Amino acid sequence: MLADKHKSEIKAILKKYPAKEKRSAVMPLLFLAQREYGHITPAALVEVAELLELDPTEVGSLIGFYTLLHDEAAGKYRIQICTDLPCALRGAEELAKRLCANLGIRLGGTMTNGLITVEEVMCLAGCDKAPTLQVQDADGIHYHENQTLGSAMELIAELMEKGSDG
Amino acid sequence: MSQALVSLTIDGVEVTVPVGTKIVDAAKQAGIEIPVFCYHPKLESVGMCRQCLVEIGRPKIDRSTRKIVRDKNGDPVIEFGPKLETSCTTPVGEGWVVLVNSERAIEGRRQVIELILTSHPLDCPICDKGGECPLQNMTMAHGPGKSRFLYEDKMHLAKHVPLGDLIFLDRERCIQCARCIRFQTEIVDDPVIAFSERGRKLEIVTLSEPGFASYFSGNTTDICPVGALTTADFRFGARPWELNATASICPHCAVGCNTMLNTRREARSQGRVVIKRVMPRQNEAVNEIWLCDKGRFAHHFASSEERLARPVIKLKRRGRLTATTWENAVKFVVEGLQAAHGAVLGIAGGRASNEDLYALHRLMDGLGGRAVLHDQMAGGEFVQQAGVGPGTNLADLGSGDCILVVASDLHEEAPIWWLRVKQAAERGAKLIVANARPTRLDAHATHILRYDYGVAAHMILGMLHEINHQKELDQYASAETKKVAKVVSKANNVVVFYGSEGLDYAASHDLAQNCATLLAASGHVGRANNGLVAVWTHSNTQGAWDMGVHPEPGGLAAALKGQKAAYVVAADPAGDEPLLTSLLEQVDFLIVQGLFLTETALAADVVLPAQSFVERDGTYTNGMRRVQRFFPAIAPNEGMRADWEILSAVAAAMGIDSARPSAAAVMQDIAAKNRDYSEVNYPALSRNASQWPHVGGKDIYFGGTAHPNHQGLGVQLTPRVERQKDISFDWAAPRKIAHKPRYLMVPITKLYDRGTTVVQSQVLGPRLEILRLYVNPEDAERLGMIDEGEVEVQWDGRKQRLRSVIDEHVPSGAVLVPRSLGVPLATAVDVKIRPIAL
Ligand code: SF4
Ligand code: SF4
Ligand code: FES
Ligand code: FES
Repeated sequence: MLADKHKSEIKAILKKYPAKEKRSAVMPLLFLAQREYGHITPAALVEVAELLELDPTEVGSLIGFYTLLHDEAAGKYRIQICTDLPCALRGAEELAKRLCANLGIRLGGTMTNGLITVEEVMCLAGCDKAPTLQVQDADGIHYHENQTLGSAMELIAELMEKGSDG
Repeated sequence: MSQALVSLTIDGVEVTVPVGTKIVDAAKQAGIEIPVFCYHPKLESVGMCRQCLVEIGRPKIDRSTRKIVRDKNGDPVIEFGPKLETSCTTPVGEGWVVLVNSERAIEGRRQVIELILTSHPLDCPICDKGGECPLQNMTMAHGPGKSRFLYEDKMHLAKHVPLGDLIFLDRERCIQCARCIRFQTEIVDDPVIAFSERGRKLEIVTLSEPGFASYFSGNTTDICPVGALTTADFRFGARPWELNATASICPHCAVGCNTMLNTRREARSQGRVVIKRVMPRQNEAVNEIWLCDKGRFAHHFASSEERLARPVIKLKRRGRLTATTWENAVKFVVEGLQAAHGAVLGIAGGRASNEDLYALHRLMDGLGGRAVLHDQMAGGEFVQQAGVGPGTNLADLGSGDCILVVASDLHEEAPIWWLRVKQAAERGAKLIVANARPTRLDAHATHILRYDYGVAAHMILGMLHEINHQKELDQYASAETKKVAKVVSKANNVVVFYGSEGLDYAASHDLAQNCATLLAASGHVGRANNGLVAVWTHSNTQGAWDMGVHPEPGGLAAALKGQKAAYVVAADPAGDEPLLTSLLEQVDFLIVQGLFLTETALAADVVLPAQSFVERDGTYTNGMRRVQRFFPAIAPNEGMRADWEILSAVAAAMGIDSARPSAAAVMQDIAAKNRDYSEVNYPALSRNASQWPHVGGKDIYFGGTAHPNHQGLGVQLTPRVERQKDISFDWAAPRKIAHKPRYLMVPITKLYDRGTTVVQSQVLGPRLEILRLYVNPEDAERLGMIDEGEVEVQWDGRKQRLRSVIDEHVPSGAVLVPRSLGVPLATAVDVKIRPIAL
């Protein structure tokens, strides 16, 4: 239960919003749940709904809407490669394909060590430094621009090292 | 109240409408149809689908002078914007020129259809909506013949997704208009369906437990503009164009929703005409264009195989029932009644029509006996006196008005009233909800009052004290009653709904009387949108009171004392209360008229098969005293007769009265005898008026598949205070509650109980309530009970084992048990509870 483990953090989040508008705290609570479990588990979804007196469907709808909220387990690091037009023109699709081949996974798949997932996403607003990718992990989101297969592989190696340490 | 008006022209037609009217509605009022998908006149505009695009020209304004620029003829210069605009989100403006059917607007809408169709399966031939589908119609009318989009790119999605037990989703067909979601959120505040994902991946989901189980879910299938939502009852059941439609009235609660029975003759029902679905029929003063799911899905009882089809008689007590002819049966009944020499009692249920009740009353009267209603809620006479006046419409209540709901759980007992009361509160009406326990309406209340079971009437006196300042009422007043009394006395209009939760006959009588007195004292009777409404348990209980058939204050057992014969119509007292069985068996001659071989029928000497409300005509009077007419939709089995018809034949055979030829003729008798009904006759009940929003025209996209009302809006009766100025109201001192019982077992009403009319539904099965005893956590602890454990409950020398559920909403000292699920309990009783060790 989130409520047991993160009691004070939840309290602090709820305090930011007027008691009558509790529902506004849904995003920070979902982030909290995602940080805790790597994705939003069905139980966490229900718990957030209960905390905010929302229907689980309302909470689930938000998770579906926001691409940075995940309801399925994946690697500790999500490598999200933009394949929208400007990045695609600079070879992003090819990059994604080759990266996956190198890692032995399909696009959207996770390495067996459970650390790395490679996904395809829409424009990350870094078109001037295409191809762009971002890494989503428990700490948040980190941008990596002007990517090549080499730089991406280096990045992944770093992440794998970091990930297996802790 | 006069409203500022705006004039504009739409396709050359000059239109004048109130400020704020959306262009789409203004056009509709002028008879110009603008196609819509996401817009619905009962929902907020969202502008999601772009189907309603029009060209809008606005008078040109000179920026320096801020004056309208005029041409040389002095006419305003009209400027059209570069883009088409959504008419569903744009309120009208003075002097605007709107073009709906210009080339540019038509082309714009054609492209929107093309876009919507990029991923629509167009499987109309196997789609339940085919034939009454806005998208199908619109594609035919406005769509392009060919698509420029790639066929291979169509999305292929799941086609049979159960969103709950009653509603199925076809993901491919959904055009993402969100009408269903907005209905659930805005109108019924039960957001159990929502969108997930975005763009072309968008889909309707539910993550709630147990899914899409809203009491109003069926309405989403009416307003869904495509065949994406279908009901478990109707899907793949028939094509809309094969169906006949007959106007009817929902028989399930006191709201009296107007319905349309869609029937067809079909091979798979052995060539019989059967009901395929129940649809809402528009009556803006009653149910608007909605129905609750009980009304929509609990119709199968009428075509049940178990219906009685021939009269049967029992020659010897406890002998076998033998089938006979109607002629014989009536003769037998006549002999039995004659032998009773006036010691006869008529017992009717609140499901009988006015005509039946009148005929029973007439017969009993003629025999020197009397007719009573099998019910334990009182107060019908106060509704006759101080009921809501003609012209009452809950939709007119809002800011400045007040609604008081006492001793009733409207969401369970009268769902459509719940919905409309909630909406009045959203429009700003003060809503006072008074009950011994929290109910779903509390979420919308401005004031919540709690009282101990049994002292509802006392609390009303507390409020009355604040208005008439009578010394004797001091004892009932509290800070709370004072506060809400102020709200009541200040309100422009006040409607009071009273129920009978936790109250017996006498207590509900006191409650009704005190509510009426409160209304009268605060000046809220005798006009529209003011007065008393009873939340009766049956569709025509008010009609029964009006026909002179009321419950016996001491109960049926008392009424049966000394009777030699009893004549039961549309009721099953022995089924409801096993203790009555022996009393009923003790009368020399028992006649039972009904649909099924009930417990009571089993004890009878004669059982007469009655027609159900779908096979005959008749009228019900709803809780707001609106008399409404239902029509025969299905030819009855020839062995069945209408209740009034049987009673009238018996009366004729006994020389009491001549036989009446039709239900309409019985209504003429009623009108002649009963001053309240003097204006009521079948033609008057069939009168219509135009209603907004328009539904059911060829522009089915506008309002959905609710039927328009061509068969009559009914007649709302005038309360007696409006006619008789000398009626005065006085409060009743409620009986003292002798002691606070240890545990008071209170029957509560749940929408999906297991009564005969509900349990036979072919689709509601999984939704039916389960018999359980609800106990407060502290009491449970004191008793040593566990959640989902078993307990033995004892009362009046009876014992029953029940599964118990711990529920914090149960007031301490009370235990709740849903009605009609197997515990025969008419009203609250003292019980002893003992947990059973496992
Ligand atoms: S299911 Fe029907 S009502 Fe709901 S969003 Fe889809 S098309 Fe609209
Ligand atoms: S609210 Fe009552 S009358 Fe209306 S459909 Fe439901 S059960 Fe029938
Ligand atoms: S297209 Fe890749 S960042 Fe914008
Ligand atoms: S945008 Fe106007 S009807 Fe949908």
